[in-house]
Amino acid sequence: MKWLTIPALSLALLAAGPAMMAEERRDAPAPDGLRPGGTLSQELPAPPLAGQPRHAGREVLNYPEQPPVIPHGIRDYQVDLRTNRCLECHSRSAAVEAGAPMVSISHFRDRHQQVLAAVSPDRYFCTQCHVPQTDAGPIVGNTFLTVDEVLREMLERERGEP
Amino acid sequence: MKMTRREFAKANAAAVAAATAGMAMPAGASNLITNAELTRLNWNKAPCRFCGVGCSVMVATQNDRIVATHGDIHSEVNRGLNCVKGYFLSKILYGEDRLRQPMLRKRNGVYDKHGDFESVSWDEALDLMAEKFKAAIRDHGPESVAMFGSGQWTIWEGYAASKLFKAGLRSNNIDPNARHCMASAVFAFMRAFGSDEPMGVYDDIEHANAFVLWGSNMAEMHPILWTRVTDRRLSYPDTRVAVLSTYEHRSFDLADIPMVMKPHADVVILNYIANHIIQTGRVDRDFVDNHTNFARAVTNIGYGLRADDPREQAAENADDPNRWTEMSFEAFAEHVAPFTLERAARESGVSESRLEQLAELYADPDTKVMSFWTMGVNQHVRGVWVNNLIYNLHLLTGKISEPGNSPFSLTGQPSACGTAREVGTFSHRLPADRVVTNPEHRRDAEEIWKLPEGTIPDRVGFHAVEQSRRLKDGDLKVYWTQVSNNMQAGPNVMQEILPGWRNPEAFVIVSDIYPTASAQAADLILPAASWVEKEGAFGNAERRTQFFHQLVTAPGEARSDLWQLVELSKRIRVDAVWPAELLDQAPEYRDKTLFELLYANGQVDRYPLSDMEEGFANQESEALGFYIQKGLFEEYARFGRGKGKDLDDFDVYHQTRGKRWPVVDGEETLWRYREGYDPYVEAGKGVQFYAKPDDRALIFAVPDEPPAEAPDDDYPYWLCTGRVLEHWHTGSMTRRVPELHRAVPDALLYMHPEDARAEGMRRGSEVKVISRRGEVRLRVETRGRVSVPRGLVYVPFFDANRLINKVVLDATDPISKQTDYKKCAVRLELISLA
Amino acid sequence: MKDFFKRYWRILTTPSLHFSLGFLTLGGFIAGVFFWGGFNTAVEATNTQQFCVACHEMERNPYREMQGTIHYTNRSGVRAQCADCHVPHDWTHKMARKMEASKEVWGWIFGTIRTEEQFEAKRRELAEREWSRLRANDSLECRNCHEFEHMDFTEQSPRAARAHSTTLAEGEATCIDCHKGIAHELPDMGPDFEPHSAGLPGFESWVAHLERDG
Repeated sequence: MKWLTIPALSLALLAAGPAMMAEERRDAPAPDGLRPGGTLSQELPAPPLAGQPRHAGREVLNYPEQPPVIPHGIRDYQVDLRTNRCLECHSRSAAVEAGAPMVSISHFRDRHQQVLAAVSPDRYFCTQCHVPQTDAGPIVGNTFLTVDEVLREMLERERGEP
Repeated sequence: MKMTRREFAKANAAAVAAATAGMAMPAGASNLITNAELTRLNWNKAPCRFCGVGCSVMVATQNDRIVATHGDIHSEVNRGLNCVKGYFLSKILYGEDRLRQPMLRKRNGVYDKHGDFESVSWDEALDLMAEKFKAAIRDHGPESVAMFGSGQWTIWEGYAASKLFKAGLRSNNIDPNARHCMASAVFAFMRAFGSDEPMGVYDDIEHANAFVLWGSNMAEMHPILWTRVTDRRLSYPDTRVAVLSTYEHRSFDLADIPMVMKPHADVVILNYIANHIIQTGRVDRDFVDNHTNFARAVTNIGYGLRADDPREQAAENADDPNRWTEMSFEAFAEHVAPFTLERAARESGVSESRLEQLAELYADPDTKVMSFWTMGVNQHVRGVWVNNLIYNLHLLTGKISEPGNSPFSLTGQPSACGTAREVGTFSHRLPADRVVTNPEHRRDAEEIWKLPEGTIPDRVGFHAVEQSRRLKDGDLKVYWTQVSNNMQAGPNVMQEILPGWRNPEAFVIVSDIYPTASAQAADLILPAASWVEKEGAFGNAERRTQFFHQLVTAPGEARSDLWQLVELSKRIRVDAVWPAELLDQAPEYRDKTLFELLYANGQVDRYPLSDMEEGFANQESEALGFYIQKGLFEEYARFGRGKGKDLDDFDVYHQTRGKRWPVVDGEETLWRYREGYDPYVEAGKGVQFYAKPDDRALIFAVPDEPPAEAPDDDYPYWLCTGRVLEHWHTGSMTRRVPELHRAVPDALLYMHPEDARAEGMRRGSEVKVISRRGEVRLRVETRGRVSVPRGLVYVPFFDANRLINKVVLDATDPISKQTDYKKCAVRLELISLA
Repeated sequence: MKDFFKRYWRILTTPSLHFSLGFLTLGGFIAGVFFWGGFNTAVEATNTQQFCVACHEMERNPYREMQGTIHYTNRSGVRAQCADCHVPHDWTHKMARKMEASKEVWGWIFGTIRTEEQFEAKRRELAEREWSRLRANDSLECRNCHEFEHMDFTEQSPRAARAHSTTLAEGEATCIDCHKGIAHELPDMGPDFEPHSAGLPGFESWVAHLERDG
């Protein structure tokens, strides 16, 4: 049987060779991005569903105009033509009792900057701007600096200069 | 300005230190910085970088960094609102892995297709590119080079690229990824009206009594327009919203008439509504008789697959699908007569009562109806037909070109209209609705560009999907992509895209700001500047042209796409790429570079740097010594002026929140083709579709033809792909914003809980989605934002680690060549239960 | 007339000639058990989810809407079936509810809610009926699983703990007052909707709440 092994092996190598080379060529080395470099032809395993913390705690805003992220789960929250679950707690009248932040006063202005008696209908679908946060870690970091950090950096550079 | 700030910071060092660095504070100081000079932010307007709505945002900069963004209250589009992506624009440029230097695959110090990436200088990168372009054109002709861009090019970048290819290199192989997005809309506009882009504007929303969404999830994909629709619906309770889709999505939350239809049933529904209008005697005969003609489109037109595919061979009109013959109204009525309510309900799965309510929105003469559509209609193997079928309803009832009555095709990219369509960066187009196959149009362009006759090739170039195939086949030798990510966004990645890019025959260049899937498959990566790192202009879906200044400097050696194009053009001489016959016609160009031919041509370079608005940097112009953006824009604008596509003067746009073309005598146009609104309509005509030779729009008779692929025993599920609100397209920008990433970290497989149960799967299970072309691993989601019917699964395409387009079929609409990303057949295989 | 009654009274009170008293008592008992069991099995059969969603109307909206919710799918796999919330557990109330339900059979036979539109038109009425029933019985069906005495307030969110330890504890409010729409979508909670409980969040009116010019 042994005499068969070597030709068989070389045959297998011959058959697999071009395929392997082709694979190698397709997955040429490359810098990592959101996807690890050199993996384009591969099927990466799917990570488990990210956790949705029920009470994540409020996050500091990056700048005053940023819509706050939602620090709690919103599973089964109904926001449609019939009702708006978010406003059960975040409306002006309910916020204090519910212990929830009231919708920003900016939401009481319509397209023409007129202040209305209630939240403007164009703000009705809360999740167009406010999104809940899972516990997923970042794939790639972000070097955005808040204005405070920029001011501090400016200052430090100025002091460092002769 | 910069000096002032620096000096000031120095002078106020102590105060800033106390306030921001948490150092010991003098008695009485508070934790609030009260120094007005320090806390003053430099605010400037810019259109949003994402979708085609074209919201205006205010951008705050401090010390050459973006520190905040918010909605621009002076913008008519969004009036101070942004969607969640727009609110986080501040962070999109600051991903840690921003590309800062050109990188080339090398082995032993020289370029090697199989080498590792090494940092190189711009000179080395550009010299090699020039050499590759010249060699390819010399050895294989101009058809061996191609470029792929997008509706994210600024107007002048797209124009410069188009000119470089069509006039300089003499190759029409330039196409934008708008081919994947808007091509069906473009062809239908040209067929029906002879002029691209909507007749209406967003203001229609505030006038309409009814909204119909045909294959559009505006709530997630065009959120700010959705706020306007929501405002209208909730403030005026008689307003009706009808939403038609193959699965339930967030737009259904506002729907009075929610309809989930079987994939591909839209042709039948639309023909039924036309039939309903006719049968109930609600045709606006006066309008139809005076302003329309009827056309019977050729049928059996194939699926844009490779020519050897049996489905193409069986299609008799696959070679020339964009044809039609005239017909009468009576013949049209006869054509739609078999499309009964009963049949539409049976074939679509939508109840008769809801279909009838939908039909009545169009038929009822007192209802002002606005139709919206995007990818459900455009990414469709019969996308052009479906676009035309929607126009049919508006034309039959005369509900068009007036406030509130508006068929409105939405766009997905910030300048899909402004750049891809108006500039004409498609492989068949020239600026302002001209096409390369029309000798007069070519002549117009050659005259404006001061080029000898015959410079622009008369053959349609390779479109997006064809480019991938030609790379694989070895016909394309040099391929350059900018502002796009086709390795992730293109269809059938494993069979038709990746093999071509890695084909040793091809040299592939990718310009981008991050190492995208496309950059990873490239041979040369060029670091690009983005958004407000350069002066730019976008055109949105309502024909609004908007400008922005350079507000910050791009990191490292990153340079704008315009700079890259221009620098390459300096390295290629005309006689290296033009044939002798053409050179003989214009011997004065022989010794010139393409830069001198195309950009330093006495037109593009005529505006001095002093024309630039004070206080803003402009790296490209400063380096070139002339105001190139203005030069390119003004030369480009000559194509449209007097042709119904008029743009205003360059300087005006920096001062306004955009204007909607045609801009005649400084006045923008809201409703085209309607007297009193559109200056091109002749007095007394009322309505005039003046872009058509006889002033008449076309109503098309088309049948229903089967999709390219449908579920069967082996692949029993429909796969539909798309987007989510929080991520834009391939996610290369939004997934680097921590808040957006955490909101939607991974692409999931949305499926019906009963299907999951039948497959032995459950929420959280890891499964393989397998088609005849490839597979991808995903986690199952049975609840959440998308609720699919049984037999259909939905996967978003933003996730670079789960390239769903490996699975998608590269079938296109045969007329528009736009891929159908919404329908192919897959099977599911369980990997692990949880 | 009087004689007539007397005669039958006598028959009923005279001991049996053919069957022993023992047989009759035992037999009667067994038969009783048999019929009672059969009846109960039949009644229980009408309590299963399969029975409830067998009709198209129930499957289309109430069931499908429930499929994503916490009461249908959750960490521990405890699922509330239709009957757990909509049928009282004790016998008297259960029978009363079942008799009431015969009206629904009528509705099913004659197609009161045949289309989605008809369901939508009735959604408010159907929901109100269940809410008032639960309000009247102090949310009995909720409490069958969620017993007030067994709640650990420290495991709840601060807001929930506050509401449960005050209004709920004092009987000012009952479960359904706050927890409407947890298993099925809410009906139109428009301007004419009035939350019944005291001191609880009101619903914003979204329709025609603005006097705006046209």
